[in-house]
Amino acid sequence: MGSQIHTYTFNASLEVLEEIRNLISQKGNEHGYSKKEIYNLTLAVDEIATNIINHGYIEKGIKKGTFNMLIELHEKQLIVRLVDGAVPYNPIDQNLPSEELLNTPLEDRPIGGLGIMIAKQSVDEFKYEFIEGKNNNIFVVNKK
Amino acid sequence: MQIEVKVENDILVIVIEGSIDSKTASEVQQKILESIQDNINVIMDLSKVDFVSSAGLRVLLMVYRAIKSKDGKVVLAGVSEEITDVMSITGFINFFEISETIDSAHKLF
Repeated sequence: MGSQIHTYTFNASLEVLEEIRNLISQKGNEHGYSKKEIYNLTLAVDEIATNIINHGYIEKGIKKGTFNMLIELHEKQLIVRLVDGAVPYNPIDQNLPSEELLNTPLEDRPIGGLGIMIAKQSVDEFKYEFIEGKNNNIFVVNKK
Repeated sequence: MQIEVKVENDILVIVIEGSIDSKTASEVQQKILESIQDNINVIMDLSKVDFVSSAGLRVLLMVYRAIKSKDGKVVLAGVSEEITDVMSITGFINFFEISETIDSAHKLF
């Protein structure tokens, strides 16, 4: 089997999150990935897509922004790539919540900051590349 | 996304159905907090929730705070393995009482 690449374009709106998750689930199912692998991949992509939409577009006042999602099906890997032309932002560089924070009682916790950590922990590999002026957030799931 | 609220044995039972992502979270949160009002004992039935992102965890956090501030108690029922995983990664799991079913959740009050 050769590799397949499916490309989709979305408006930078939170409305699209469900469709993103559905597309990933469908392709993952078709190619024999487990329910848990697929769920975790949709979770990781959802978290980062949310950040792109909110911080890259909505908070910047960009109303008609779009971004792309590529689903790449290789022999031993499923790769999702989010490609956006918003302000350069490398999530890998961000400080993750400390162990101390994660043990802080919920009454005293700051709100937010968990998305990137969840994304990193939910896939086999989470990478960022800046290519031809665009942010590429890359999520890799290895076939077990 | 749908929310149903009922009172069983003086405990407010909130049944949530669908996905709690960053699009739906604010509506879910608003509806739940409105329904809590004077109730201090709450069961949240998550058995029909198929997806929870960090935005959904924030909703759980706000409900927890609202109830805790009144010395009440919140129990989560029917939490899927996937949702349990994300609650573990983020440390949320340590602060909630979790029950397999609504029936067993009632016994925790």
